[in-house]
Amino acid sequence: MTELNTEEVADSQVLEEPPPEPRRPLYRALLAVAPFLGLTFFFVGWELYVRISDIRPLTLPLPSDILRHIIDNPGFYWRNGLVTVQEAFWGFWLAFIVAITVATIMAYSRFMERATMPIIVLIQSTPVAVLVPIFIIWFGFSSWPKIITAALFAWIPFVANAVTGLRAVDPDSHELLQSIDASNWEIYWRLRVPHSLPYMFSAARICIGLALVGAVVGEFFNSKEGLGNAARVAQSRLLIDQLWGSVFVLAFIGVAFVLLLTAVERRVLRWHSSQMLG
Amino acid sequence: MSNDADEKPYSGDPANPDESIRFEQVSKWFRRKGQLVHALSRVSLEVGSGEFVSFIGPSGCGKSTLLRLAGGLLEPDLGSISIRGETPQVAKSLKHYGFVPQQPALLPWRTVRKNVSLLGELNQRRSHTTGISPDDQLQLLHDIGLGPFVDSLPAELSGGMQQRVSIARAFALGAPVMLMDEPFSALDEITRADMRYLLLDLWRRVGSTVLFVTHSIPEAVVLSDRVVVLGARPGRVIRIIDVPLVRPRHEAVEDGDDYHHIVSEVRAALKEGSEDQ
Repeated sequence: MTELNTEEVADSQVLEEPPPEPRRPLYRALLAVAPFLGLTFFFVGWELYVRISDIRPLTLPLPSDILRHIIDNPGFYWRNGLVTVQEAFWGFWLAFIVAITVATIMAYSRFMERATMPIIVLIQSTPVAVLVPIFIIWFGFSSWPKIITAALFAWIPFVANAVTGLRAVDPDSHELLQSIDASNWEIYWRLRVPHSLPYMFSAARICIGLALVGAVVGEFFNSKEGLGNAARVAQSRLLIDQLWGSVFVLAFIGVAFVLLLTAVERRVLRWHSSQMLG
Repeated sequence: MSNDADEKPYSGDPANPDESIRFEQVSKWFRRKGQLVHALSRVSLEVGSGEFVSFIGPSGCGKSTLLRLAGGLLEPDLGSISIRGETPQVAKSLKHYGFVPQQPALLPWRTVRKNVSLLGELNQRRSHTTGISPDDQLQLLHDIGLGPFVDSLPAELSGGMQQRVSIARAFALGAPVMLMDEPFSALDEITRADMRYLLLDLWRRVGSTVLFVTHSIPEAVVLSDRVVVLGARPGRVIRIIDVPLVRPRHEAVEDGDDYHHIVSEVRAALKEGSEDQ
């Protein structure tokens, strides 16, 4: 007993030190390269599958062949990729602006929400691709039909998330701002808009892909350039390399923009719980 | 009404005998799922300038409703309310209220310091109240133990710390009337006991009028000049109990016989209210 006591006293006299910071640099590095690892795994798997099972290139080409084809024709893909990116970019922002406007009106008025909802569902369930020739009649052979198509593909996730984000603010915070008679404008900018940002970022993640697909669909109908045009030409002339090459470049563009968005999100949403773990 | 008999006109601090808040025959109904609920029935009350008044009662007694009526967040169906001679709507537009909601309600994207300065930045149309100066705000945060956290985000703070920020935010506005809706109810008992005396300390320095809604009898007695005991269905004033304990009050006050006597008085009044139904 007494021995035990003296030991305890001795223990407490030793300078108490906090445990060292857990250092897991390897894990951090792994997290940083995880997206590239995922892609590599996917393509290596594909490559091995095609090589082992001996499928004809017409059915499914080797990804390494497609990559080589892209590298051999950098100018072609750069030119066409740039056109598609521009259309998707403007379509994305057009969708964003229209969606924010519509969502703001819907978030402030139950009546407007109920009145607008059927129109949104109507537009959503319309096969947009079918309407592209109509847009060409309306807007001519310009970039506009493609931008509009991209916007129509992308705007629904924006509207849905913006309505939730603008409306689902903390009632206590809302009441607090009302208690000092803050204007609707102040409540909108200081409370609703910042609150909707995490919702908008997760919508944007989906909308980047949708806008790119929309631009390509627009290009399928009438265009002289763009990745959609490249794919259409490749389809009709059975240029398998160029068909897959267009798809690959489009996918790379999508991944690049999503990564860019993630980096921006990490900075802007530093305060949000989605950014606090890991 | 029973409250008329028990109510004593507030004698007040002799230096400042002005009445701050007056409820006159205030009634309020709510419609819930088609049912008409009588939330408050003919509540009359005068609160002196600089007085600390608590409202206590069972759930459904309309104590939060009373607070929201005082703050102009709800309109009474009958009767009237005046805040320093103005309607609650005018008082609200003049930024006369420091509101402390039940949850800290901090904006998660603003640092502690910026949450505290928020209310001063908004509504500059009529009143140019920007609250106390940024230096004083910082001093206030230091005084209540938030010094190391002024640039932290709310998510990095404990619940008790967040509620401290919420109280600092209300005091930073420099408003003459404080409306507090069970601000300590989500805190653990130890933190809660600390917060009482922290609040009293801040209040003593600022001298604002406080309406404080609570579920806790000890809290009501420790903090208040008067405790308004409310009954439910319909919400009404059962009794108004004076708390003549000396100020400034410290933890020791809870050991005194006077304190225990008043606590039992409030408890008895609450019981009386529930038996009335």
